[in-house]
Amino acid sequence: MTLSAVDVARPPAPSEEPAVKGIEGRTPLQLVVARLRTDRVALASVVVILLIVALAIAAPLIAAITGHGPSQTNVDSGTDANGQPLPPGTAGYLLGTDNLGRDILVRIAFGARISLLVGVLATAIATIVGVVVGLFAGYFGGWLDTLLARLMDVVLSFPYVLFAIVLVSVFGSSLPLTILVIAFFSFAAIGRIVRGQALSQREKEYVEASHSLGAGNLRIMFVDILPNLVAPVIVLATLLIPAAIIFEATLSFLGLGVQPPTPSWGNMLSDAEGVGFQAWWFYIFPMLFLLATTLAFNLLGDAVRDALDPRTERLFAGRRKNKPA
Amino acid sequence: MSVRNLQRRDEVGASRGVAKWMSILAFAAMAIVACGSGTSTPSSGAAQGNDLFNPSNFNTANISWLSANQNASGSPVMGGTLQIEGSTDLSAAADPQAEYETIGFTLERAYTRQLLSYPASTNLTKAETAVPDAAASMPTVSADGLTYTFTLRPGLMWNTNPPRAVTSRDFKRGVLRNCDPTLAPNGNPGYYIATIAGFRAFCTAFEAANPGESPAARAATINNANVSGIQTPNDTTIVFTLTQPATDFNNIIALPFASAAPAEYLTYTPLAPGNILYSDGPYAITTYNVGHQIILTRNASWAQSTDPLRHQYVNEIDVKVDLAGSAAATQVQQDLSAGTADLEWNTNVPPADIRGLESPSWSRQLGVFPAPGTTNPYLVFNVQSPNSSGALGNIKVRQALEYAIDKVAINKIYGGASLNEPLNQVIAPGAEGYVPFNDYPTSGNQGDPAKCKSLLKAAGYPNGITLKDYYRNSGNHPAVFQEVQSDFAKCGVTVVGTPIATGYYGSSGIGVTTPNGLKAGHWDITEPGWVPDWFGPTNGRATLPDIFDGALSFPGSDWGGYDNPAVDALVAQAESATTISAAAALWHQADLQVMKDAPFIPFETSLTPLFRSARVHNAVFIPFSEYYDITQVWLSA
Repeated sequence: MTLSAVDVARPPAPSEEPAVKGIEGRTPLQLVVARLRTDRVALASVVVILLIVALAIAAPLIAAITGHGPSQTNVDSGTDANGQPLPPGTAGYLLGTDNLGRDILVRIAFGARISLLVGVLATAIATIVGVVVGLFAGYFGGWLDTLLARLMDVVLSFPYVLFAIVLVSVFGSSLPLTILVIAFFSFAAIGRIVRGQALSQREKEYVEASHSLGAGNLRIMFVDILPNLVAPVIVLATLLIPAAIIFEATLSFLGLGVQPPTPSWGNMLSDAEGVGFQAWWFYIFPMLFLLATTLAFNLLGDAVRDALDPRTERLFAGRRKNKPA
Repeated sequence: MSVRNLQRRDEVGASRGVAKWMSILAFAAMAIVACGSGTSTPSSGAAQGNDLFNPSNFNTANISWLSANQNASGSPVMGGTLQIEGSTDLSAAADPQAEYETIGFTLERAYTRQLLSYPASTNLTKAETAVPDAAASMPTVSADGLTYTFTLRPGLMWNTNPPRAVTSRDFKRGVLRNCDPTLAPNGNPGYYIATIAGFRAFCTAFEAANPGESPAARAATINNANVSGIQTPNDTTIVFTLTQPATDFNNIIALPFASAAPAEYLTYTPLAPGNILYSDGPYAITTYNVGHQIILTRNASWAQSTDPLRHQYVNEIDVKVDLAGSAAATQVQQDLSAGTADLEWNTNVPPADIRGLESPSWSRQLGVFPAPGTTNPYLVFNVQSPNSSGALGNIKVRQALEYAIDKVAINKIYGGASLNEPLNQVIAPGAEGYVPFNDYPTSGNQGDPAKCKSLLKAAGYPNGITLKDYYRNSGNHPAVFQEVQSDFAKCGVTVVGTPIATGYYGSSGIGVTTPNGLKAGHWDITEPGWVPDWFGPTNGRATLPDIFDGALSFPGSDWGGYDNPAVDALVAQAESATTISAAAALWHQADLQVMKDAPFIPFETSLTPLFRSARVHNAVFIPFSEYYDITQVWLSA
């Protein structure tokens, strides 16, 4: 029996081969975004943060619509006959009033500005300082490393409330001082992580190669090593924002941060201390907004950390696989 | 009165894990608050329905104010421990020549005696009238009103070991001790300097001595003092000679500053930790854990037969002074309601709780009491400040600002109309010389920013001014500051606030130690308060001179540095008037002149709400200490 020409399989000629679609490569950023898009908690956190930002931006608009400023007292019509706050739902006051008859909704909106401003700005300053200090300490080593590492240890062990009291008694409390105090007590956390990473990276071959090509120390630190530290720094910074917000609220609660009449969620909670048991809204609403904001940033930070970690690719792959078509 | 007035109104890179724990705690807190809070319904306002501030109504039969929550039912029960709690310790180690707060006066009632003192009575007139205490009878006064002779009643004993009789020299020693350089800044020797012959020279020299000098040196100064106006011809007689007649000398000698002081007080440096305090009263301090607790127990050396004013019902008085911060008032109120404590110490009933205690029916445990003549808080101008081109030195500027304040709003901060009334002058209702008037009327006492603005413009400040406000950072003071800032803003005046810790307010805060200190302009306005040192128809000296007599010794309570010789002259005439009616008329004239000069803005006069636990009997309010007389109290069996 002979095989017919029809029956024998043969490889197709190159011109007959079907077109094969090429696999498109993705940048690390695209990978991270793609992973985040599958994380529902991260998406929810982003939504909450955007809503808080929108609230902060819209604060003057809210004040204009309600007709109530954030600092103008309104004891005569905004409190009852005994000077006690009005409850939520009272005409013109969606979330009620505080002990001076001020609209709690308006003050929460303006307080969001303080919290976000302090949280982001203090974190930015702390991150920049922490990265620089950590890079110098880890890269150069020796006596500089010893000095900077011990400095960071001292900062981390210093009682920040006592320090804040001393600074306030000398310079008086203010928003810039609050931001600087928070940044000062936060940079060391980032600095230590960056130092450890820099210690490790400086032994890598690419650093040696840069040396041999004649690159200077500063170029190596900030052009060669730093890009490899971006991922952990971003995660740390994201997690530092809610810590900074809580820090500011704590200082304001203790009377060391933002001073009245400027509204801050922290000093609103402090004002509520004497009347909170009878005027629950005075506690609850600032607390809820503080909780939501810090929780959202914390969860987003967790998600960013997971998204940046290549070892979690299997988790995200599983999510993409299970996603309905 | 200095610190006393300032302190009655109370008057505070986390990791992801920490943030999460805070979230959990926040949820728990929300749950607790949501479950525990009551509903808030608007109050109908004053529940008592009486004009509390009309002096003629103080003893009306509608509600007997001073017996509102007395609970005098039943016979006295001996025994038990009276539990008092609060959040602040005494500021002068319980030394009677230095304590100058209502809490100090309250405790001293139990372990000190004066020649004269005030009875615990629910009749306000009686409660404000000095009667014999250690003295056997009222003093014999010479025809010219200059000599007061007191005779001690027999049987007065110190709880020394062995017990020793109290003598006239002990009372002389007590008055002289007021000038000790360590004690004088805390107390008020000014009343004795102004009245007792020869005392000024002694006191001026002693006050200027080195505060670090030895007890032996202090003892020598006191033992060798030759003050012509204080003589002790024998162990039971003491004679005071005055520089001029004084209708209020009985009140001055009834102050705790004039308590007897045993010889042992000259063996140590005053106010040093661990100093033993001796008692000639029904109780003695047996434990003083500074910052935490003071315990008084029965004094076996005291006899009821020697004391017409006090009793010794309870076995022990236990005062806890270490409750935390701004929530202390709320915690104390809860403890009193629950019965785990009996009386408040330095706190009052929180305004937020008043509504629940007033309605639907008046709580039998709540009392609301007058302190006639109180002006607390008020706003004082630093008239020597150079800021804003010395604007506050311009009378027209100050007169313009008199129209700025919404006093009804200030009332509400302190609990509303049921407890407070707007005040528009120096002398408040119930005080000597009170005649109502208002030089700066506004509709409903709610301020007139338009008028304020136009007057400021007429004074040469069309664009307003900027003022620095030193305010206390506790109690209602931050709220008062914000209201002042808000009201002044409507008038075109910018107020920049600086919070000051309450403990430093009267000293390194608004107080200055150099004659030109106010000219440095660290502050322009501030909001202190004033409670008269005594009450009744002869208490004119206890308010206006202390805060507006520029001729008084420096530093003093004339915080803003105001001085008008015309006022000083009226004060001098009032203090030396020979009849009460003449003195009252002069005090009123001084009041008129001060308000014309506008060195301050009065805000309000107030009642004091106090609460007692259910087992407390015979809680009698005495204006003298603005509190209950703890030596009248017995506890349910």
